[in-house]
Amino acid sequence: MRFIALALAVFSVPLVAGCGLRPGYPPNPMLRPTAVTDFATLYNQNCAACHGQNGQNGPSIDLANPEYQALVDDATLRKWISGGMPGTEMPAFAQSAGGMLTSAQVDALIAGMRRNWQRPNAFDGVSPPPYAQAAVGDPVRGQSTYQARCAQCHEPTRDSANQQITSPRYLALVGDQALRTIIIAGRPDIGQPDWRHDSPGGQAAAPLSVVDVDNIVAYLASLRNLGQPAPASTASSHTTPAGR
Amino acid sequence: MRVNGTMSRVYKWFESRLQLEAPVKEAALHPVPRNTASWWYVFGSAAFTLLFLQIVTGILLALVYVPSAGEAWSSLNVLNHQIPLGWFLRGLHGWGSNFMVAIVLIHMAQVFLFGAYKFPRELTWTLGVFLLLMTLGMAFTGQVLRFDQDAYWGLGIGASIMSRVPFVGGGLVHLLLGGPVIAGATLSRFFALHVFIIPGALLLFALLHVWMVLKLGINEWPMPGRLVRRATYIDEYNKLAHEDGIPFVPGAFWKDLAFSGAVVAAVGVCTFVFGPFGPGGQPDPSIIQTVPKPDFFFLWIYTVLSYLPPQMETPFLLIAPLVAIATLLAVPFWAGEGEKSWHRRPVAVLAVSTIAICWGVLTHLGATTPWSPHMNAWSSDPIPVHYLQHATPLVRQGAVVFQVKQCRNCHSIGGNGGERGPALDDVATRMTIDQLRYKVVTGGGNMPAYGKNLSPAEIEALVSFLETLHPANEPPAYDASRRAVDESQSQPRPQSARPPAPPVARQTANRSANR
Ligand code: HEC
Ligand code: HEC
Ligand code: HEC
Repeated sequence: MRFIALALAVFSVPLVAGCGLRPGYPPNPMLRPTAVTDFATLYNQNCAACHGQNGQNGPSIDLANPEYQALVDDATLRKWISGGMPGTEMPAFAQSAGGMLTSAQVDALIAGMRRNWQRPNAFDGVSPPPYAQAAVGDPVRGQSTYQARCAQCHEPTRDSANQQITSPRYLALVGDQALRTIIIAGRPDIGQPDWRHDSPGGQAAAPLSVVDVDNIVAYLASLRNLGQPAPASTASSHTTPAGR
Repeated sequence: MRVNGTMSRVYKWFESRLQLEAPVKEAALHPVPRNTASWWYVFGSAAFTLLFLQIVTGILLALVYVPSAGEAWSSLNVLNHQIPLGWFLRGLHGWGSNFMVAIVLIHMAQVFLFGAYKFPRELTWTLGVFLLLMTLGMAFTGQVLRFDQDAYWGLGIGASIMSRVPFVGGGLVHLLLGGPVIAGATLSRFFALHVFIIPGALLLFALLHVWMVLKLGINEWPMPGRLVRRATYIDEYNKLAHEDGIPFVPGAFWKDLAFSGAVVAAVGVCTFVFGPFGPGGQPDPSIIQTVPKPDFFFLWIYTVLSYLPPQMETPFLLIAPLVAIATLLAVPFWAGEGEKSWHRRPVAVLAVSTIAICWGVLTHLGATTPWSPHMNAWSSDPIPVHYLQHATPLVRQGAVVFQVKQCRNCHSIGGNGGERGPALDDVATRMTIDQLRYKVVTGGGNMPAYGKNLSPAEIEALVSFLETLHPANEPPAYDASRRAVDESQSQPRPQSARPPAPPVARQTANRSANR
């Protein structure tokens, strides 16, 4: 009797299964890693660590910033993602450059970023300085613009002087284009204003001109080259860290 | 009436030719000691039932499965997705296999603890040892037939184990793989092993095993102090069975049936809830983003191999299995007489429990593999947002360096990342900044030395990030001699003459809160 009941139970399982309630039904066959083109999967596996979940609040630039998406074109994105960004820690991802992604996957990432993070009219009709630097900047002028527009927010205190953006240590790890991108598009996730709001307190001010931006980047670059990274043993490198 | 008459005539026609009635009746009704009709004695029959489940589901699977290197993987996906209930069938076969290995092991432990291997059942035990080996062989060859990444790499590891056999290693590998490398011939070979050779032998041995159980009688319930002696045991057993016995059917048999039914039901439920095993990714050696793992019952070997120092591997792999099998085979001949009850056999109890505990621990470790880096962590595990909330630009870059140099693959923060090295969430409370710098540059104790792979700027960024890794209410470790130097250098810099603006003020406030 008991056996029959059990046997019935066993055979009723597939019947229930047939009715659509089947938790054990296997997932779709696993794609080979190079065949994955789903944006969320690709982004979370390859980019989220540095650019943050959902493209913000990571240590590196917030790709989800609509102003950034409006500023940069597809070819540039493809160039950086495939080959890495010189002067920064952004690695190369294309197989042709020793990474793991096919060019179709790089394209899927770009298309996904556009779909998820682009907003129409991100600049309210104002046209920003171009993404790429065209002219050579003047570091001396740059310094005075920096003092006027940036310094008040970026003030090295005693504790963190060599951790701020004017420190050669920081600048050694960040390329000119990365600085330029941040100055123009801002980083809303960490409170860095865009080129229209680069002013004390982050108020709207006269937008930085193309020349201003060129000059500030040139100024910061000059600080980088000026700084031989201090040898570990002599630097007063102890800083009480910001908490968290 | 008429029907019954016809039926019995047909039955008689067959019976007068086959003459099966008498032996079957004898087998079914033979008396067994009353106390062997116990729930402890059901595992053997359950294993036998599972063997039949495996045969039936296996035959059905073989109708669709294509044993060729190019198509095996996709034919399993066809079963999973295109054939109605094909996934269920695969699941039954896969779970049936796991249950069978488990039940065979439990059966063996029970037989051992109940002293049932002693005289006159030595040969039954010996066959049982071979049945265990063949069951494991079926589990392994079955895993290979799945021919996914796990199978592919598992086989590679199996082959590399074989190649270590002195003198004949190369030949053995060739024999196993059907060539020097894993290819179509390998799969044909394992298909033949899994479908013809091992099951044939398994069935034959299992029938002999059952035959002997019927002929020699089911082991009586062990009583402390009732010793087995070759001269007297058989008479004693027969007396017990006849004086205080019950017919095997239905006296003991209903429990076997009920338990077997329950086990089959459990296989069904597991399949229904958890589904079939794999197939995982395609078996392509060019796909290196994979962490191959053997099936459940071989995980412990995987653990042992990961922890053994390299020079111990070959001896362990080649000698330990032989010793284990020889020990199992020797047990009934070495201790064929004497005490059966576990109450009086502490060594036996200790041995079984030690093995069970070791096996459990090793399997658990094998399932979680704390020793292997998480190869994706560097690019996929985000830094917890609040760790960077008040970070300085350099600290933020340090976090990037931490990721890009793949520290995360071995070190978790915020609970994500590898476990090969310690979690670093509060590393700053353990180490001063100089110790951190030293550790990163020189490595040591399974931690690679990064001195040559990091620029000075990267090192500074990295350690300033690590230095922020401490709970908000617990200050970082601080070297007292540093303090004096820092204090003497505390002249304000020219730029900081103006009053602090919002972000800096925020940071400063936070900093003083931390003090
Ligand atoms: C190991 C950390 C890391 C990973 C992983 C990473 N990036 Fe980056 N990425 C950086 C850094 C550092 C920069 C430099 C810019 C900055 O931080 O402001 C950067 C810059 C970029 C830029 C250019 C920004 C500009 O100035 O125009 C793009 C686009 C980008 N990353 C996309 C991606 C995508 C897409 C992925 C995933 C495939 C990815 N990154 C993965 C660290 C990383
Ligand atoms: C309203 C205040 C404010 C102004 C004005 C401002 N910033 Fe920032 N900036 C911030 C904050 C807040 C952060 C994030 C905290 C930090 O990094 O110190 C930041 C971060 C940055 C970063 C670092 C991003 C990273 O990778 O970590 C750069 C580079 C930067 N700012 C450049 C500039 C430049 C150049 C100017 C002047 C054109 C400027 N900022 C003006 C507030 C400001
Ligand atoms: C291959 C795995 C691996 C990688 C990659 C790795 N580590 Fe380690 N790390 C270890 C192990 C293992 C230990 C424990 C060493 C010991 O016993 O002293 C360790 C220890 C440490 C410690 C000391 C922690 C403590 O509490 O004692 C620090 C700090 C550290 N690692 C930082 C890093 C940094 C920074 C990186 C990247 C540049 C890194 N590790 C990369 C494996 C690794």
